[in-house]
Amino acid sequence: MTEREALAGAARAADLRLGARDLEALTGAWRRYRELMAALAEELAEDLPPG
Amino acid sequence: MSTDALCDAPLTEVVASLGRRAVSARELVDAYLDRIERQAGLKAFITVTASHARRQAAAADRRLVRRDSAPLLGAPLAIKDLFMTRGVRTTGGSRILRDFIPRRDAAAVSRLRNAGAITLGKLNLHEFAYGVTNGNPFFGIARNPHDPSRIPGGSSGGSAIAVVAGLCAASIGSDTGGSIRIPAALCGCVGLKPTYGAVPLDGVIPLGWSLDHAGPIARTVSDAALLYAVLTGQPPKPVRRPRGLRIGVLSDRLLRPVERGVAAATERALERLQGAGARLREVALPELSMSVAAQLATLRAEASALHRTWLRSRPRDYGRDVRLRLQLGALAPASDYVLAQRARERLRAGLRRAFEQVDVLALPTTPVTAPLVGERKAPWPSEPVDGALVRLTSPFNLTGAPALSLPCGLAGRLPVGLQLVAPWGAEDLLLGAGRLLEDASK
Repeated sequence: MTEREALAGAARAADLRLGARDLEALTGAWRRYRELMAALAEELAEDLPPG
Repeated sequence: MSTDALCDAPLTEVVASLGRRAVSARELVDAYLDRIERQAGLKAFITVTASHARRQAAAADRRLVRRDSAPLLGAPLAIKDLFMTRGVRTTGGSRILRDFIPRRDAAAVSRLRNAGAITLGKLNLHEFAYGVTNGNPFFGIARNPHDPSRIPGGSSGGSAIAVVAGLCAASIGSDTGGSIRIPAALCGCVGLKPTYGAVPLDGVIPLGWSLDHAGPIARTVSDAALLYAVLTGQPPKPVRRPRGLRIGVLSDRLLRPVERGVAAATERALERLQGAGARLREVALPELSMSVAAQLATLRAEASALHRTWLRSRPRDYGRDVRLRLQLGALAPASDYVLAQRARERLRAGLRRAFEQVDVLALPTTPVTAPLVGERKAPWPSEPVDGALVRLTSPFNLTGAPALSLPCGLAGRLPVGLQLVAPWGAEDLLLGAGRLLEDASK
């Protein structure tokens, strides 16, 4: 499943109606958002003991 | 001073002129209304309440004749169209609330009215305050008074335009990621985001519960202090310049990149402060590295929660940029929000540590001067314009510490804002530090 398909599925599940253009723009924004959040999670990871 | 010239005078001077009856409130209101009409192309206002303003002016003039006193008696102000105004439509800059007429004033508006202020109308903003360019698709793209091909910044763009173009004596705005300070910096005026909770938000259309602040946008630090006193229900008092002020200059990665002209203006402002007796010291706040992600996750989640129903029932009634931000927030997992709150705690702790070493922090308000209307990218790789504009302001929404933006010079022909940040509740010190720079710049 592509990132775009996954996002479309998540949007349907959340009852959001996304047009093709919105889905396209959202896919890019989502990718950048995930990258930022991954970096934040990494910075905060030291709160947990090493697994 | 002619009535037209008074339109450009500081609020404190306008109030003094009214008090000694050098001008009447009616004359002032007419002069501002004339300016508003002549400057309609700036798109500062969504609604002008001319006849209502004239009625308020007549009442104020009667009080002035009786020598009544009130801190803002007869002063014509304008209100960001996010604050509810009784009997006057409050759109939030949106199509969804285009016809919404509140039955009550926001608490902040009530305090201005109780202090004798006259309201000229409602000011343009980014739709629902959810953006910083003020390219409003429903009420017009607001324009920077210094160069109409450029944005004023937002979301309180109309508030800053109105102050700088002399369309009101002062205004109020809201700030969730920088929405008071960014337009103040890009347009060249003073914007104060007080400590979280200091100015009541009752009757202000919310965007992010834990990030929203309300505060003044004005021509001078003393004007901002006067409005701040009224908005917080305190008696006005003179702004006192602090002695031996210790200023922390942030040296963190978050501060880069910054446009060369902005960096140079900031540097010169710091030298002037030093010349006025302040001591500069470099301060590290490494937790700032988490602020962009923490702000984004917090705001996306809170705004999408607020707009949950409309986003599903009438998504096409939003402008595209705002709709996309809301949709992204609706898809983000709750764990992101939790992570963001942990990051906020770290950032607050870091800021508390910094304030053990210095009295205030100083940094540019925005890393760029006013971008062109429609410009999407910052002048360096991989940062969108809106991301760049909030990069240096949003940390203080996350922490709730008070922050002041004031003009510190020009880069080319465009204004640059210096941001000063103080400990929670230390607005007097913050305004005093601002006054120090203002006086040193004369």
